[in-house]
Amino acid sequence: MDRRSFIKKSALASAGAITMPYILPSGRLFASTGSAMAEYVVYVLFAGGVRQQESVLQRYLADSQNVNFEGNIMYNMLNGDPPPAKIAYGTDPSVGPSGSNPIPSILSQSLESQGTLFPEVHASNAGHYGGLNTLITGNTAVTQGLRQKPLFPTLFEYTRKHLGASATETWFIGNTINNSVPLLNYSVHEDYGAKYGANMLIPNTTFSSLGQEHLANAKVYHPEEELRHVDIMKNFLNKNWEINGGLTLADIGNTFEEREMVKTYMDGVLNGQISIPFPPVNDNGDLRNLGYACSVLDYFTPKLTVVNMSAVDGCHSNFTGYLQSLHRADHAVGHLWNFIQNHPVLANKTALIATPEHGRNANPNSILDENDWFGYDHSDSNSNRIFTLMAGPGIQSGLKVGSESNPTGRATDNVLTIAEILGFKSEVQASGALDPQAQSLFDRI
Amino acid sequence: MSMQVLTKFFLTLFLGGILFSSCQKEPIYEVNNENLYLVSADKDKLKTNTQYIAILHANLFQKALSANDLVEIQKLIESVGDKRVIQEVIISNFLNKPGVIIPSDFEMLSDVDGFIKETYERFLVRQPTQAELTYFRNYILQNAPSNTQGRFAELIYFSFALSDEYQYY
Repeated sequence: MDRRSFIKKSALASAGAITMPYILPSGRLFASTGSAMAEYVVYVLFAGGVRQQESVLQRYLADSQNVNFEGNIMYNMLNGDPPPAKIAYGTDPSVGPSGSNPIPSILSQSLESQGTLFPEVHASNAGHYGGLNTLITGNTAVTQGLRQKPLFPTLFEYTRKHLGASATETWFIGNTINNSVPLLNYSVHEDYGAKYGANMLIPNTTFSSLGQEHLANAKVYHPEEELRHVDIMKNFLNKNWEINGGLTLADIGNTFEEREMVKTYMDGVLNGQISIPFPPVNDNGDLRNLGYACSVLDYFTPKLTVVNMSAVDGCHSNFTGYLQSLHRADHAVGHLWNFIQNHPVLANKTALIATPEHGRNANPNSILDENDWFGYDHSDSNSNRIFTLMAGPGIQSGLKVGSESNPTGRATDNVLTIAEILGFKSEVQASGALDPQAQSLFDRI
Repeated sequence: MSMQVLTKFFLTLFLGGILFSSCQKEPIYEVNNENLYLVSADKDKLKTNTQYIAILHANLFQKALSANDLVEIQKLIESVGDKRVIQEVIISNFLNKPGVIIPSDFEMLSDVDGFIKETYERFLVRQPTQAELTYFRNYILQNAPSNTQGRFAELIYFSFALSDEYQYY
């Protein structure tokens, strides 16, 4: 049997195993008790710190730089006309001011029109890592330290434990190896932890020139005739180690076949056999990261995919760059939704939910950029203002819940919302690890 | 000979006897040269990514990895969630490079016990137990001759580099 057919058969066997009843680690047959609204969920951590003023409120420069131009620079996600002038958020034309070419919309109908928008949501944490933890654990994460794995179970662990998803059915596509982002694929919670963790890639690093240099030239071993031996001998060594009181390594539990799938995927990308469906404009890390997320979706069709972005954080010192990054983040989400809706497996079976991890300040700092526009940090109460947008099967279209004067929803709601979409809400509620005020967003409608 | 001279003679003889009988040569105790190895239970510190890569490279190539490569590979390890997967990829890249020092299958089969002991020392810094020696002897003799690629010793190195014990020191 050659390598390709082995991988194919293994994948088919794994798929068969998933569809057959089996006893989950929790001891139950078929864990989920609720009915799923969608088969797949893609969760976009629209992160880096997004001000309400430039996003859902569509104030463009009016509420930040005392320049009276308003408009929507996120027209894939939100309804509304773009700013009429002073365009600085687009791409650079061959002749003309920098950023003056807006990126054309990908979606013919905005996600807001196709789904439900909660325009005024409360974020409990104004720090990046704390905010990401909030979005991914459904807990306010007030005791969460930096450079520390999440203290509370992540959405990945809930999905794997209560839905019975395998390791390759949950993916975290991170945008950087910095800021503790690689720690987010599982928690240290004693009832969950590594064995329910997600596969994770930081593709902008893995598939960078570093990856080309150190990972692309792997010796090819026959999976069955050679790597099986490696696995058997390694298991013998590990068993002896365990018997002699050796410590146990954290392991997300990819099976042998799943490990081969992941390696084959990585090799395929590194050696150009798998082409990446990058967005039409892919001139920053967020856009490239979304392209890789689409590739992972295509290759593994995970039950749950979480992808994060953060380029908008340049707002600390470059407001023009922030607008450009925000416009590109919208382009990325538009591309992602378009990719999903044109995918033979994922189309009409996938829900998407997008939320910033926190907002940014109401008042600027003193740093001016190339256009003499002020930068914004994230530490005041305006940083606790975010939005949540979701679309897909079972999600009402064209619905807006809440307003600036009537905030509705919390950042911690998303975990329970996604659990409801995938059909295991009651199990997550019973975990006791959520923010006590968290609710499924469906319960807030 | 007077009585006084005779007394002196016997006294000298007596004291001399005591003196010589008390000066026997003491034996010298020494320690034989022995290699000291850790027992697996003593390894309780997880290697950092940097330590793992540096030691792996030294074990496979018998020389140090450059500092630049070390930093770059460390970043790549951090970029993949399943550490076993990324370690497998890195090892298989190392094993594809010139300069890797691995005995041939012919050398391995000509002294199986010696190969096993050397492999344990190289990777796990200890001697195999009798059970481990027996297991690997049997496994090698049963499987290595039929390995058509002729790189069974390499597969054994691969398995040691991936083992849990190798992750600790």
